[in-house]
Amino acid sequence: MSRALEDVIVLDLTRQFCSALSSAFLADFGARVIRLDLLPFAAPPQTETPPGWNHEADLIHRNKESLALEPRSERGQALLRELLAKADVIVTDWQRDELAALGLDYAKVAAQRGDIIYGRLSGFGPVGPDADLPAIDELAAARTGMMPILQQPGQPPVYTGAGAMHAAVMLAFGVVTALTHRLDSGEGQEVDVSLFGANMYGAALDLQAFLAIGKGERLLNPISRLDVSNPMSGAMYPSADGRWVTLTMPDTDRWWPVFSAMMGIASDDPRFDTHDKRTEINRLALIQELERAFQKQSGAYWRQAFMDNQMSADVIEQFDYPANDPQVKANRYILELEHPSHGKIKTLGFPIFMSASPARLEKLAPALGQHSAQVLSEVLGYSEDAIYQLTSAGVVA
Amino acid sequence: MAKKALDGIRVIDLTVWFQGPVSAQYLADFGADVIKVERPQGGDQGRGVRSIKSLEVGDWNQYFLVINRNKKSIAIDLKKPEGQEILYRLVEKSDVFLSNLAPEMLNGWGLSYEKLSSINPSLIYATNTGYGRFGGVSKPSFDMTVQALTGAMARLGEPGQPPIYLGMGSGDAYGGIMSALGILLALYQRKRTGQGQSLDASLYGAQLYLAAPYLQSFLAGHPEAALQHSRKEVENPLWNLYPTAGKWVYLCEKNEDVRFAALCRALKADDLGKDSRFATAEGRRRHNEALIEVIEAHTLKFDHGSLMAALQAEDLIASPINNLADVIKDEQAWQNRYFMKAYCEEVQREVEVRGLPVTLSKTPGEINSLGPQLGQDTEILMMELLGYEWEEIEALKAKGAIP
Repeated sequence: MSRALEDVIVLDLTRQFCSALSSAFLADFGARVIRLDLLPFAAPPQTETPPGWNHEADLIHRNKESLALEPRSERGQALLRELLAKADVIVTDWQRDELAALGLDYAKVAAQRGDIIYGRLSGFGPVGPDADLPAIDELAAARTGMMPILQQPGQPPVYTGAGAMHAAVMLAFGVVTALTHRLDSGEGQEVDVSLFGANMYGAALDLQAFLAIGKGERLLNPISRLDVSNPMSGAMYPSADGRWVTLTMPDTDRWWPVFSAMMGIASDDPRFDTHDKRTEINRLALIQELERAFQKQSGAYWRQAFMDNQMSADVIEQFDYPANDPQVKANRYILELEHPSHGKIKTLGFPIFMSASPARLEKLAPALGQHSAQVLSEVLGYSEDAIYQLTSAGVVA
Repeated sequence: MAKKALDGIRVIDLTVWFQGPVSAQYLADFGADVIKVERPQGGDQGRGVRSIKSLEVGDWNQYFLVINRNKKSIAIDLKKPEGQEILYRLVEKSDVFLSNLAPEMLNGWGLSYEKLSSINPSLIYATNTGYGRFGGVSKPSFDMTVQALTGAMARLGEPGQPPIYLGMGSGDAYGGIMSALGILLALYQRKRTGQGQSLDASLYGAQLYLAAPYLQSFLAGHPEAALQHSRKEVENPLWNLYPTAGKWVYLCEKNEDVRFAALCRALKADDLGKDSRFATAEGRRRHNEALIEVIEAHTLKFDHGSLMAALQAEDLIASPINNLADVIKDEQAWQNRYFMKAYCEEVQREVEVRGLPVTLSKTPGEINSLGPQLGQDTEILMMELLGYEWEEIEALKAKGAIP
C-alpha cells in the first residue's frame, strides 16, 4: 500500500520530546526518517535509568532508523554532505550556533541544496530580540498570558504542557506544506515553529478576545468555577461521589426541556425560561441549583443520563478511561502490541485516519546506530567494503 | 502578490464553530482558495457568538471573523436537491471537501464520501468528528466534554482542587491543526499519484495525542502520570514556579551544583547554600519539599522584576508568568507575526488579530481579508466558477436553494 510521504527522506537532529515526535509523525505516514546519532556518544547519564520498557523512546522514535556518525572529521563531513544530497527534509531543535558549528545551519545547507525543507523548532521564533533563547516550553508558556487564568482563584498558575504538543503537530504541518509547494516549484525553504507561537495558538480564543476587547480583569485573572458565563456551557460540578461533571451546551434553548427535567427543575420555571435568564439575569441562581442537583447522584449515574439523552456533557475521567475505551481502540488512537522484549504493551496510536494511506507502525525505536550500514548501502549506495572502512575508522558506528 | 504554498488548491469548507473552520483557515492562510458553504438562514453558528467569558466579543465579531479569514462564503440550502446539485458542481471543481457536521447529516444530504468521490475521484474528503470515524459514538461533541474523557483535565491543578480545562477551545485548536495536517498529507500524496481518499481527525484522537507525554507514561504502567501533582513536591526544585510579591516566576534550571550555587547567590540566600541537605543533586531531590519551601520564602522577598534581574545577573533561565495584557505587547510576538493587523470591514478600521504560528521563509502565510459576510460570494462563484447562467440562478433563488 502506498504511503502519503513514502518518497520523502528526513534527517532527524532532535533532542526534545515534541520535535522528535514531530518527525515520528512524518515517519508514521511513510517518510524514511533517519536519526543522526552523533559520535562520540556522550557518557551515559549519572542517574540510573529506570528498568523496563523505555516507553518514551518507543513513542518518539518509532518508525525511524538510526545512523551513528562522527560529524567533525573530514570523512564525517563528507558523509554528512552525501546524506544532505539525498535528503528532502531536516527536522531539528538545535540552537543555531550548534548547527552552524557543524555546517548544518540553513544558509550552508541551502547553498548545497536549494530545494531542502529545513524544519526547526525554536523557542521564540526566527527573528526578534529573543530568537536565540533556549527552546524550553515552560518559558514559552509563562509568556503567553494563559498560565495565570487556568487555575481556580487563590491557586498557583498552571503549566499544561500543551504548547509543546501544539508545536509538534505544527512543525509537521509546516514541513508538509513546504513539501507540497516544492512539488510544483522545486523550491525549498525554512520552516520555523516556536514553542512561544504554538503556546499562543493554544490560547487562541482567549488571546483574540483580549486583543479585540482590550479590557477586563476577567481575562487576566482566574475565574471561579462558580462564576462561569453560561451555567450550561464550560461549567463543572461535583457529583455525589466526588467526581466532576462538565457541560457544553451553549445553545441552552435547545437543551433546556430535557436538561431541566433531568435536573429536577420545572422546564417553565419562570427564573430560567429564556436563554437570557439562564445565562445572564439569573445565572448565579441557576449555577447554585445545578450545583445542588449534581451532588445528588454519582458520576456513573450522570454519564448514563448524558448518554441516554445524547447530550454534550460528560464525566471528567483519568487516563484509565481512554486506555480501555473500545472507541479509542476501534479508531487506533491507542494501539495494543506484542513488544519483543516487554510482552503486551499499549502505546499511543495515530490521531489521523486516512482511508488510502493509513499510518502504520513498522519499527520500534532503533538502538543507536542500528541502521548505519543499511542507510549507507540503501540510501548512499556504499559497498560492504566501504562501509567496513568507515566503521573501522570510527566515522560511523 | 507573493506566491503562496497552497496556490491552486480549492477547498470546500462546510464547517461550523471552531475546530473545522480553523482547520480550513490554515489552508486559506497559506494560499488555498477556501469556499465556506453555509446554510442561508444564520449561517455558521459561530456568527452568533456574542460573548466570551461574559465579555462582549467587541464591536466586531472577532470569534467568527478571525477563524474564517481569507475565505469566500456561498450560501446554499443543502436540504434541497437543487442545493445539493450546486454542491456537486463545486465538488467537480475542487480538491478538498472538509466538514465537521455529523456524518449522518452529511449522508442524509447526499454528501457521503461515496457520492462525492464518484463525482470527483481525486477528491480529498476530510471530516472532523467528535469521537472518530469508527466505533459508533456520534453524540454532539465540544472541546470541553472531549477533554473530560481524555484524562488530560484530571491531572492538572493542585491535589484536591477541581480539574483544569486546558484553555478555551485549545483542544479544538489542536483538532483543527491536526485536521489541516491530515489534509496536507493527503494533498501531497495526491499531487504525486492523483489518488484521492477520505480522512478523519477527531477531537478525541487529537486530544489523546495532545496528552502524549503523560498518557504514554500511564500506558506504560505509571499510574501516577494520571494524578494531580503539587508544585510543592516537584522532583527538581530548580525547575518550578515560585511566587514573588508580584507575579509568579518560572525557573527552568537543571538540578546541578553550579546552577544551585548561582541560585543561592541570586537569592542572597546564604542559609540555603550552607544547608547540607541541599549540597548534592540527590539531596535536593530527596529534600525537595523542604527546599521548595525555603526557596519560596526567599522569592517572596522580591517583586518579580527584581527577582528576574537577580536571576539574570547569574545567567539563570527564568521567565515571569505574564498575563494576556503583557503578551499582546510582547515585541517578540509581533516581530514573528504571531500577532498581525488586518482591515476589518465590519468596523472599517484596522484591528489586531492572532497571526501565523507556522513561519515559512519563502511562501509565508498572509491575511488578505477577515471572515466573509454570509453568502457574499454566492452569485459570482456560481457564474464564474461553476458556469451557471443568470436565469438558472434566478430559478434556484425562487426554489430557495440559494438566498
